[in-house]
Amino acid sequence: MVFMQGFLDEQFNQLEELQDESSPNFVEEVVDLFFKDSSRLLTNIEQAIDKYPQDFYRLDSLVHQFKGSGSSIGALRVKNECSVFKAHCNDRSLEGCRRSFQKIKREHATLKQKLESYFQLLRQVGPREYAVCSRK
Amino acid sequence: MARKMIRVLLVEDEEIHRVMARAAVKAAAGTEDDVLDLAENGAAAVRRVREVAPYDLILMDRQMPVMDGHEATRRIRAMGVTTPIVAVSSDGLPADVEAFIGAGADYFTPKPLSKEKLGNILAKFGLT
Repeated sequence: MVFMQGFLDEQFNQLEELQDESSPNFVEEVVDLFFKDSSRLLTNIEQAIDKYPQDFYRLDSLVHQFKGSGSSIGALRVKNECSVFKAHCNDRSLEGCRRSFQKIKREHATLKQKLESYFQLLRQVGPREYAVCSRK
Repeated sequence: MARKMIRVLLVEDEEIHRVMARAAVKAAAGTEDDVLDLAENGAAAVRRVREVAPYDLILMDRQMPVMDGHEATRRIRAMGVTTPIVAVSSDGLPADVEAFIGAGADYFTPKPLSKEKLGNILAKFGLT
């Protein structure tokens, strides 16, 4: 998982520990759930940012959900940028929120790409090798 | 000697956290016999606590539609229920933790749940 360093934190390892014979695709299922949730939330956040007058309480609530969802898979950079966004909501800085949102979208897209490649690789190498790879 | 079956109520509106919690409870408790009930908001949780056989543990999210975790905790305590309530929330600020404990929760753990966190919680409340 060298290529994921910096993008994922220890929580991803915790996720892998929950995968077993009875739920062999658990990690990928949770990751899929995150990307399904996050796509919806990104759309909602974008709409809320563009709405006038701005509802910073709602924006904070949406990003809070997004951050929580990301924390489930250990999405470190996404989580950190969500914290920055929440700080801008607290300061009622729309410009800050807009800038932060662009970063969140970029980090989200990069993470999605990396995880898709990761799972594709795992499917190619097979389950036994996955058990070895996941502990590196 | 086999451990007695435990009955856990998870109060959580978001699917990803429900999936994580279900897996963490199963991994930490280590038996298929344990029961994990779900409530999708605080109001549903209060109803389940009132209507269902006593729970051994309640895992309570904060931010939920209809009724949030603070209010649900207050109402469950007002019913005289002494089941351990563990607040599970992304909000880990001291003020948030204090608010939950003030509402009647026994403990707070930040999201996401893991096998390790659940194991510690079960041990803390003598459920292992």
